[in-house]
Amino acid sequence: MRASRWPVFIWSICFVGALWLAATELSIHSDLSDLLPEGTTNTQRLLLTQVRSGLAGRLILVAIEGAEPDELARLSRDLSKRLQGDAQIDFVGNGAQGLPSDEQELLFRLRYFLSSTLQVDTFSVDSLRGALEKRLDDLRSPFGLLIKEYIPSDPTGEFLGILQSWSEWEAPTKHREVWMSADLQRALLVVQTKAAGFDAEPQAAIQQHIQAVFQRLREDSSSARLLLSGPGVFAVEIQQTIEQEIWWLSVTASLLVVVFLCVTYRSVTLMVLSLIPLTSGILAGLVAVNSWFGFVHGITLGFGITLLGVVDDYPIHLFSHLTRKESAQTTMRAIWPTMRLGIVTTAIGFSSLLLAGFPALAQLGLFAVAGLGTAAVVTRWVLPVCIPAGFVPRDISPDLGRLVGGLPKAKIVVPVAVILATIVLIWSDTPLWQEDLESLSPLSADKKELDQHLRQELGAPDVRDLLVVEGTSVEALLMKAEAMMPRLEQLREGRVLSGYDIVSRYLPSHHMQQDRLKVLPEREVLERNLAVAQKGLPFMPGLFAPFVTAVAEARSLPFIDRDTFRGTTLGMKLESLLFSHQDEWLAIVPLRGVLDRTQLATAAASWGDTSVSYVDLKEESNRLMRAYRNRMMQLVGWGTIAITVSLAVGLGSITRLGPVLAPIGCALIVVVAVLKGSGESISLFHVATFLLVIGLGLDYSLFFNRREGTESERAKTVFGLLVCSTTTILVFGLLAFSKIPVLHAIGLTAACGSLCCLLFSGLMAQREATDA
Amino acid sequence: MMCGIAQISPFLLFGGLLLVGTVAAPENASSRGDDVTGAWTVEQVVASLKEEREPEVPFEEATHSSLLSAPLIVRGILRFTPPSRLEKEVLEPYHERYVVEGDLVTFESERKRLKKSISLGDYPGLRGFVEAFRAGFTGDAGRLMQSYDTVIEGTRLKWTLVLRPRDPAGRAMVEDLVFAGSEGRISSIVIHAADGDRSVMTLRRGAAK
Repeated sequence: MRASRWPVFIWSICFVGALWLAATELSIHSDLSDLLPEGTTNTQRLLLTQVRSGLAGRLILVAIEGAEPDELARLSRDLSKRLQGDAQIDFVGNGAQGLPSDEQELLFRLRYFLSSTLQVDTFSVDSLRGALEKRLDDLRSPFGLLIKEYIPSDPTGEFLGILQSWSEWEAPTKHREVWMSADLQRALLVVQTKAAGFDAEPQAAIQQHIQAVFQRLREDSSSARLLLSGPGVFAVEIQQTIEQEIWWLSVTASLLVVVFLCVTYRSVTLMVLSLIPLTSGILAGLVAVNSWFGFVHGITLGFGITLLGVVDDYPIHLFSHLTRKESAQTTMRAIWPTMRLGIVTTAIGFSSLLLAGFPALAQLGLFAVAGLGTAAVVTRWVLPVCIPAGFVPRDISPDLGRLVGGLPKAKIVVPVAVILATIVLIWSDTPLWQEDLESLSPLSADKKELDQHLRQELGAPDVRDLLVVEGTSVEALLMKAEAMMPRLEQLREGRVLSGYDIVSRYLPSHHMQQDRLKVLPEREVLERNLAVAQKGLPFMPGLFAPFVTAVAEARSLPFIDRDTFRGTTLGMKLESLLFSHQDEWLAIVPLRGVLDRTQLATAAASWGDTSVSYVDLKEESNRLMRAYRNRMMQLVGWGTIAITVSLAVGLGSITRLGPVLAPIGCALIVVVAVLKGSGESISLFHVATFLLVIGLGLDYSLFFNRREGTESERAKTVFGLLVCSTTTILVFGLLAFSKIPVLHAIGLTAACGSLCCLLFSGLMAQREATDA
Repeated sequence: MMCGIAQISPFLLFGGLLLVGTVAAPENASSRGDDVTGAWTVEQVVASLKEEREPEVPFEEATHSSLLSAPLIVRGILRFTPPSRLEKEVLEPYHERYVVEGDLVTFESERKRLKKSISLGDYPGLRGFVEAFRAGFTGDAGRLMQSYDTVIEGTRLKWTLVLRPRDPAGRAMVEDLVFAGSEGRISSIVIHAADGDRSVMTLRRGAAK
């Protein structure tokens, strides 16, 4: 007797140990980007890196509406002032900010490197004369006061030329110094956060802070509202939606299962006992995922627990087979071979998730496999010991066995269902595969619309079309970018696109800087030319001495590079356009208002430079999803083969494979037809759920096909199966009502699949053959 | 996001032009001016300016700058079309045109082969002037007083009106605007820039000279 207690003792130690580990080591993440895949091509990997940490992701678009334009402008100014110094915020823009004066000075000092208007003859007598006459015009124009301070040291107007060429971006209209929508209904701001856009927790904190500051600024009577949009806002919203959904889904699902089990077995002891494998499984899953990945994602946690609800099947099978005559251990030993086979095949199904290369699914797979294995071991060796002697939850009428035993007579239903399903598959107009990643986003359509709208009003790039340029060094990359500029200009003039941003506009290559330096004349030459050019013009004598000095100094300035502008507005710009990625340098050229994507792709290809590629982000992310789905399909294929082989080994016969596998194959066909018929296309997540369906279905099918002696034992099996499948269908059926597309996909597929598997397994069970 | 040249403030010399309109507006509130003189108030100036307003006035403008050894002179015509269109056309020594209409400022230069429109919203200082002007036309004297401190001196036949911008953005550029005139006729507008430069605009109306 003492020996039989050992498993419980070991289990208790492990359980407490795991609890302690979970309590001390467990780190739960909420960053959505942790769940993003690595990408299969270089471009995809790069883009995903950008999505994770890039500048575009860190931009929050802010709009204030619902008040008079003057009030909106005041709110915009005050909000920007309050947020400016915040440690979590890099930058606030509302149109009122100019370049900080020290940055202006820096650019002014470096103007001869940066100016794209510098020509070979800029400092010739004729050009200088022309420039000086222009400056006289400026002085007597209403612009005079603005430009005056730059005239003595920059009479050729390089600095203002630089600023002009950089301000190509079409800024929104302004009212009282701040950005407004054209109809003055909304004040517009942008906030750049320090935290990455996908980092939901700090993002949520920043957004709450912005809201709180706004509420304080707003007068109580005012009807002004604050609207936020952008990747960070979406991340927070997605996370909140997921958290809420997971919460209500798991609470409702647990309630349903508890109520169902109570009604079925009318036993509190049973409820408590069935929790032993489940909690052990969950704990094991947590510890496994945390030690392998270093963290557990909130979504894995929420969804994995729902998924592990499946392991409740094992104690239920045991309970259903308990009799007063034999001990729980004996019963367990009797049903173990069948259960073991079901567990192995389900585990094989789940482990394909591990190999999918998609972090979200891999975590889930590991969680499920570890949980499943643990729950199985606990059910086999710990649970029977805990069951009080003579505990029989419920007497099961042998009629049930007879009733179900009669099912195979209605076998004809299966081929009919499969034929109907095939017809639906052929006739339905719904595309079989889900190609648009967008449709998987849990964001509501009006949120997306608001984002589009604000982007348009702010003139912010819509982050869809890009050119990516690769180079072995910054210098090589900049030279490539410089060579691209005239081509891009051509495309713009040809109305293929309406604008672009490129790093070489802000930072010239050393080569280009060298060329510009060569243009700068020696001091004596410049003095001579200037004297001639100035003749007869009413400038104060000696006025241009700062100019002569500046040119002389520029000749000996060191070349500029990225470091020159570190920490400045320009530096931030450069960071977003140029960065290193796995030993090479990349420049991103965001394109604005692309009208003709095919023409653009053709043009980019015709440049014949393989290091320049045009990327349609939307298309690219869909391609990424497609690649993962195909990989998943392959894994499902291999998984099926592995399952078949282990079944053949486990059953010890190939002929018995047929009756076990056939119902599941039929069920899958019907599930796909149901999905397609109800207007759903198959996505990666449906495919992943097929594995779950296969695992569940095998479990049902194996028990239905189990060799059993008596009618009453048969009834017990059937009863157990009915209870198991009902709980599964309840839980996943509930999931199908989720408004998160991914959960909905999984729920619908699994609920539908387990129902079909149960039904078909019952209908196709070959009892006659095994009874003999 | 780079903030380009659009961030650099206004072309204030426009102020003179705009004020032709501004002072032509009726004004209800009296300024401190009438305590000093008793004879001639801002209100009266405004009333008689409106009465004697002409659709166009030739002008000569001299720009005195610390950068220059001699003032620069331009000549042209100021036009005003009620309710809100203002135009400054330079005829000599080159051809240029500035038009303020609604919220839009259009700049056209033959020599620079340039035609450009900007929104008043981008130029806070300038916006102050335009608003003052608009306030005048809608009879909203309060808004004019919001934008400027006003001081009037002299007599009915020879008065000067000094407007000092209240808005810090405006004051950073312009010290004050000094209008001189006789009854309902402005003879000169002097704009003193904050850095000591000044622009002197002489209006040559038939009766004024």
